[in-house]
Amino acid sequence: MSSWAEMGGQVAAAEAFVLTALCVILVIDVFLTDRSRWLTYVLSLLTLAGAAYMTVRYGVQGRVTAFDGMYIADPMGDVLKLFSYGTVAVAFLYSREYLQRRGLFRGEYFILALVALLGVMVMVSAGSLLTVYLGVELLSLSLYAMVAFDRESGIAAESAMKYFVLGAISSGTLLYGFSIIYGVTGTLQLDELAVGVREVGASNLGLIFGLAFIIVGIAFKFGAVPFHMWVPDVYHGAPTPVTLFIGSAPKIASFVLAIRVLAEGLDAMVASWQDMLIALSVLSLLLGNVVAIAQSNLKRMLAYSTISHVGFILLGILAGTNEGYRAAMFYTFSYVIMAVGSFGMILLLSRSGFEADRLEDFKGLNRRSPWFASIMMMLMFSTAGVPPFIGFWAKLAVIGAVLDVGLAWLAAVAVVLSVVAAFYYLRVVKLMYFDDPTDSHAIEAGGTLRTVLSANGVAVLALGVFPSALIDLCARVLP
Amino acid sequence: MQLDWPILSVLIWLPILGGGIMLALGDRGVVLGRWVALLTTAATFGISTLLWVYFDSSTALMQFTEERTWIDIPGTLVSTYSLGVDGIAMPLILLTTFITPLVVIASWTVIEKKPAQYYAAFLILEGLMIGVFAALDALLFYVLWEAMLIPMFIIIGVWGGPRRVYATIKFFLYTFLGSVLMLVSLIYLYQQTCNAGQCSYLIADFYDVPLDQNVQIMIFIAFMTAFAVKVPMWPVHTWLPDAHVEAPTGGSVILAAIMLKMGGYGFLRFSLPITPDAADTLDWLVISLSLIAVVYIGFVALVQQDMKKLIAYSSIAHMGFVTLGSFLTFELMRVNGDPRGAAMGIEGAMVQMISHGLISGALFFCVGVLYDRVHSREINAYGGVVNTMPIFATFAVLFALANSGLPATSGFVGEFLVIIASFRADFWYAFLAGLTLILGAAYTLWMVKRVIFGAVANENVAGLTDLNAREFIVLGVLALAVLALGLWPAPMLDVMHKTVEELVQQITAPKL
Amino acid sequence: MIQESILLTIVLAPLLAAIIAGLGGRVIGRVGAHSVTIAGVALSFALSAYVLKQLLLDGLPTYDGSVYTWLVSDGIRMEVGFLVDHLTALMMVVVTFVSLCVHVYTIGYMHDDPGYQRFFSYISLFTFSMLMLVMANNFLQLFFGWEAVGVVSYLLIGFWYTRPTAIFANLKAFLVNRVGDFGFVLGIAAIVYYTNSLDYSTVFGLRDVIAADTMQIFPGVEWQAMTVVCVCLFIGAMGKSAQVPLHVWLPDSMEGPTPISALIHAATMVTAGIFMVARMSPLFELSEAALNFVLFIGATTAFFMGLLGIVNNDIKRVIAYSTLSQLGYMTVGLGASAYAGAIFHLMTHAFFKALLFLAAGSVIIGMHHEQDMRKMGGLKKYMPITYWTALIGSVALIAVPGTSGFFSKDILIEAVHESHLAMAPYAYWSVLLGVFVTAFYTFRLVFMTFHGEERFHADEHHKPHESPWVVTVPLILLAIPSLVIGWITVEDVLFGGYFGNAIQVLPAHDVLGHVKEEFHGSAQFVLHAFTGAPVYLAALGVLAAWYLYIKRTDLPGQIASRVSALYKLLANKFYFDELYQAVFAGGSRGLGTALWRVGDVALIDGTMVNGSARVVGWLSGLLRHLQSGYLYHYAFAMIIGLSALLAWYVLR
Repeated sequence: MSSWAEMGGQVAAAEAFVLTALCVILVIDVFLTDRSRWLTYVLSLLTLAGAAYMTVRYGVQGRVTAFDGMYIADPMGDVLKLFSYGTVAVAFLYSREYLQRRGLFRGEYFILALVALLGVMVMVSAGSLLTVYLGVELLSLSLYAMVAFDRESGIAAESAMKYFVLGAISSGTLLYGFSIIYGVTGTLQLDELAVGVREVGASNLGLIFGLAFIIVGIAFKFGAVPFHMWVPDVYHGAPTPVTLFIGSAPKIASFVLAIRVLAEGLDAMVASWQDMLIALSVLSLLLGNVVAIAQSNLKRMLAYSTISHVGFILLGILAGTNEGYRAAMFYTFSYVIMAVGSFGMILLLSRSGFEADRLEDFKGLNRRSPWFASIMMMLMFSTAGVPPFIGFWAKLAVIGAVLDVGLAWLAAVAVVLSVVAAFYYLRVVKLMYFDDPTDSHAIEAGGTLRTVLSANGVAVLALGVFPSALIDLCARVLP
Repeated sequence: MQLDWPILSVLIWLPILGGGIMLALGDRGVVLGRWVALLTTAATFGISTLLWVYFDSSTALMQFTEERTWIDIPGTLVSTYSLGVDGIAMPLILLTTFITPLVVIASWTVIEKKPAQYYAAFLILEGLMIGVFAALDALLFYVLWEAMLIPMFIIIGVWGGPRRVYATIKFFLYTFLGSVLMLVSLIYLYQQTCNAGQCSYLIADFYDVPLDQNVQIMIFIAFMTAFAVKVPMWPVHTWLPDAHVEAPTGGSVILAAIMLKMGGYGFLRFSLPITPDAADTLDWLVISLSLIAVVYIGFVALVQQDMKKLIAYSSIAHMGFVTLGSFLTFELMRVNGDPRGAAMGIEGAMVQMISHGLISGALFFCVGVLYDRVHSREINAYGGVVNTMPIFATFAVLFALANSGLPATSGFVGEFLVIIASFRADFWYAFLAGLTLILGAAYTLWMVKRVIFGAVANENVAGLTDLNAREFIVLGVLALAVLALGLWPAPMLDVMHKTVEELVQQITAPKL
Repeated sequence: MIQESILLTIVLAPLLAAIIAGLGGRVIGRVGAHSVTIAGVALSFALSAYVLKQLLLDGLPTYDGSVYTWLVSDGIRMEVGFLVDHLTALMMVVVTFVSLCVHVYTIGYMHDDPGYQRFFSYISLFTFSMLMLVMANNFLQLFFGWEAVGVVSYLLIGFWYTRPTAIFANLKAFLVNRVGDFGFVLGIAAIVYYTNSLDYSTVFGLRDVIAADTMQIFPGVEWQAMTVVCVCLFIGAMGKSAQVPLHVWLPDSMEGPTPISALIHAATMVTAGIFMVARMSPLFELSEAALNFVLFIGATTAFFMGLLGIVNNDIKRVIAYSTLSQLGYMTVGLGASAYAGAIFHLMTHAFFKALLFLAAGSVIIGMHHEQDMRKMGGLKKYMPITYWTALIGSVALIAVPGTSGFFSKDILIEAVHESHLAMAPYAYWSVLLGVFVTAFYTFRLVFMTFHGEERFHADEHHKPHESPWVVTVPLILLAIPSLVIGWITVEDVLFGGYFGNAIQVLPAHDVLGHVKEEFHGSAQFVLHAFTGAPVYLAALGVLAAWYLYIKRTDLPGQIASRVSALYKLLANKFYFDELYQAVFAGGSRGLGTALWRVGDVALIDGTMVNGSARVVGWLSGLLRHLQSGYLYHYAFAMIIGLSALLAWYVLR
């Protein structure tokens, strides 16, 4: 029985901190009255800050393994973790008012979110299929709970139910896939796995069989067609802050899941999973973009747009090159920034008894608030991939990666479908700018939300005009 | 003689800055805002004239060049903020800076709804357009090229006519679809430069990229979709009439005067030099589409009932000369064995772009003048306008004649050069292109007959008041420009010669 | 050496005057307007005369120099410059003189028109354009003048813009002219193609290069390059000089004020085509095919358009048709290589036809803007000056021996007789019979207007009256040359080698050379005339007119009803207008509508653009139903997905 330090545990300081912190908060929260609930909120934010400190403090240069290789610390991991803290923090900041107005300002939201975050962190640093699965479950279970945590909402409960059942199936397939791989190669360790696969040969039927199951699992976490069914219902059904949360950190998790398992563990089988991912991404692009047009609910529309963006992220991954992974990573970052902003806009406009999640609710926003209208416009054009916004650079990178591996037709399909996508984003701009307002209420949202959201919007533009920093970051951590 | 300060950056960012100020001022400060807008655009024009003054027409090299690192992540993305102009870009930039102040003046009191955003949109648009012409880096070019769509989308959509939503979304998607394919081929070319060792998005570096025939064909077609939509060429022209009809006067002017030119510019800057062999193989396509544009669209314009639509169609027909003139080189080589006439064709195309910018802009202003008074663009709503608006009528007739290619107006120069050049290539090119003498006169002057001449048609016309000082200035300035270019085009052509010669040499030397 | 400054002044004086009168019209007022324009034109007339003197008497050499470079492209200089030789000088004098007369005349004719200043500005502008045309030393400037006169004519025909007929006529005129210009531009393009120059001297220098070459317009059909060039250029001439089938605009152009009909549509602009072909004689000489074409067109115009003059009752239109037929004569002259003769006829015609128009105008004033000859008659005693001047014009027009018209026309007929071209016989008989027709309709006009019983019903103060001096003086000024100019100048101009090498004729085509052999001074020529047919035909024509319109005024009606078919044909001007209206105007509108509705709206927009949008919409409406909301559907979808992946990758 060797000690924590001996196993190189300090690299996992952040995880340890978050775990302890959330246990502490859990306990404290029990004794808090609703009036002093803000403490939970503050503590959660502090936890994130602390985690960030830890990650930076014990940040690593190269690749370091701990716990007998179960745990990996590498620059990519650190960056992903830091980014996750950031998005979760933003999610908290956006959500507070909404929750308060609806009497949902309870500990669960923050605690569950932190647990989910822990899950993400574990996945990010997973060095073996087992750790991966651990993280996946941590994340998923807390998400199921979060979706349902508004007890009054029937629709929320229903979508939580669907999410849970489908999630269970996918976890099952994932686990089954893992076990097959283990059976064939005799290891769960990702680095050993890479070697093992080469030994048995990438074309081994068993491996391919297992791979297929794993792909299904990953595709479900991403929400790629045809494993996307939960996405619209959950996005729509869950309370907006939860939708916002689901749209943020978990996407990073899905990305890292794909990277760790496919790119690191099964890299030798790239030929096989490339074909599978091509099919998935094309389907996602097609269905996501086309069906989004028919939506009248903004949350649903964004859900379908998410599906199409997943298609793009998969494009980057399926390239199977470092350039591709970088592109996918950059795309994930920019997508999360935009998604958080878009859901933030819904929170901004919502009032007690008014969700502001229908497209009509954005009519004539330019009259009511030119500033936030322009921010939403930037978010929409960015999501559509129009320069000079960050979304354009994401698409640029991904298409570049795909072209580089000689899949020109795929690139063409992607860009043409992004024109289809442009239509429904333009429709939002149309509602805000060309139509007259139907709702004359002033925007109630308070200072924090306004400030952070403004910053979020400006970031979309700033990163669009000067994208080097972010691109460079991705390039550094994924050499 | 070069300037020691970054004039092009100033030209790009000054208007954008002005636009920012406008937005900050908001509608409360609109009175001040108008002057900000006017001063900014006027200043921009003033500065841009320095380009002309200090331009060295004895070289084909890029001038007033600036280069700053923008994105430099070796192995991932390398793109520079690199600007410069040559004999092709410089006149177009001057056109831009010349037209925009007029737009500001013309819409001085006309816009009631959100005026601050209106001016801001135009200022930002101006900066972006100048950037498109000045960009030497393909990625920078593309970013500006796309960004340009946003203000125009807003302009048409917010201040446009009844069917503005349909028109503006059609405009955006049409052009967006065109350009995304261009993006793919730009990325491809970039990767080729990487394989060659030095990753670069510089257009100049693309020229040296070796490409085999099939790749060239694909890239050429991708570029062509982008540029043909902008020009626009038949059959991807149908966004233009709708956009023009619904856009506010200023929007139509900018659209017709400058945005369409970007298509022609793109052909000269990208398609021809980057994929010369594909252009050689596919020039028949471009040429036949151009001739269709001249004839087919000429007939279509004849039967339009909406003045703006008619002018829009006439724009398409006139831009046909641009594409025709630009693509004569290869046929000339095939027929005569030497590229004599190619330069004339391209210079004719350039002159045609500038001149069309002035004339179509002026015509849209004229329609705007009437529209502001009667709020109708229907030809039938008018008749005998000359009785109540003699001064306006004088301008209108002048611009109409210019539009039908009257010598001594700028409208004649380009068409004349292109017809003469195309005769070298094939009698029938000249024949079909020449039909514009008849068709152009027919649709333009028939409209004049029905709108301007005749007895006073109705009480609306009877109640018309003649031009006010503001309108007079706008039309007067344009009239002077049109006549000046018609009477003495030499100076404008002299700045192009070297660049065009260079271009012809470049595209007559096969890449294969 | 003629100074450039003089030439510039000649050209710019009218332009300047036009600008002042046009833009400053309100400021300087009516008197100001006509003073400044008349001053301008007078100046250029004086200087033109001076230039002519310099060339003739002082024997200065031909002037050929450029003023400035319009542009350079592809190594081809396009310049604005002047070529002043005897041909040009002659045209300059004629143009400025007639223009001057018309200016003065206009003071009276338009004196109560609201558009007074505008009118003067226009005609001065026209003078400028016409001078640019004739003085050009290159095709570019020629085309500029060519189009400019067209535009001014467009503006002037539509001068009374409230009249529907006027604005119809001016559009028609411009478009028909544009058809000609279309050919003209192609001709110029062809010339640039073969010679890489727009300069007359260079082009003429390289004419053998063109002649040596052939081109295939229709695959397999070789055509002489020179023929293509000349025919294209001549198509331009057909437009401007209203030759069949591009003549339809000229009669309608009579909608314009009468001074315009005199200046533009009789004396100067319509003769631009003739001048141009004469100027291009070095080229036309080298293509017999083209010459034959010219002959044919000219002869047809000369005879058949004359016929139309017989049945028309509008005093101005009769003269208009006469103009058409006279232009035909000139064209025939060109075709027969008698360029000098054509130009000579152009000059005399300019005088007497302008005279006739102005006289007609004077009648119209006198009759209080009545133009129908059936409502006139016996005006002789009311307006004597007009009558006598008109009579002089008429005798000149029908070529009564001794008058200017006689020399020019008889020599043309002789020349055609001498020509050996294939078309020559046809042309000869057309022009010969044309003489009779001319005499008939001319004196029909004279008799119907000035003789016979008065068919107008006017009380005391609406009686016809003689026109003021500003009207009659120009008449007299024009009457003099109409009578004598031929007698004086014919010898030098036609046989004295006046034109030098401004006009070049191949020996084989030198018809005037043959005519010269029978020519021994004007007097003999007059006597000689009585040995030929034309003079008797003319006499016959006059007699016939007298018999039908003075003696037996009932006959014309009967004849008309007797040969009603023929009469209808003539009365409807051979149905040209109806044909064009239906085929070209209607046809292109129909085509346009079809292309628009079917091509743009239905196919491109309806099917492709909105169609694809609709497909996407439909698809999205369809696919959204996959999202049924049922858990088992979702699970099932996942299973399908999984098994698809397995099937694809395991079983392949």
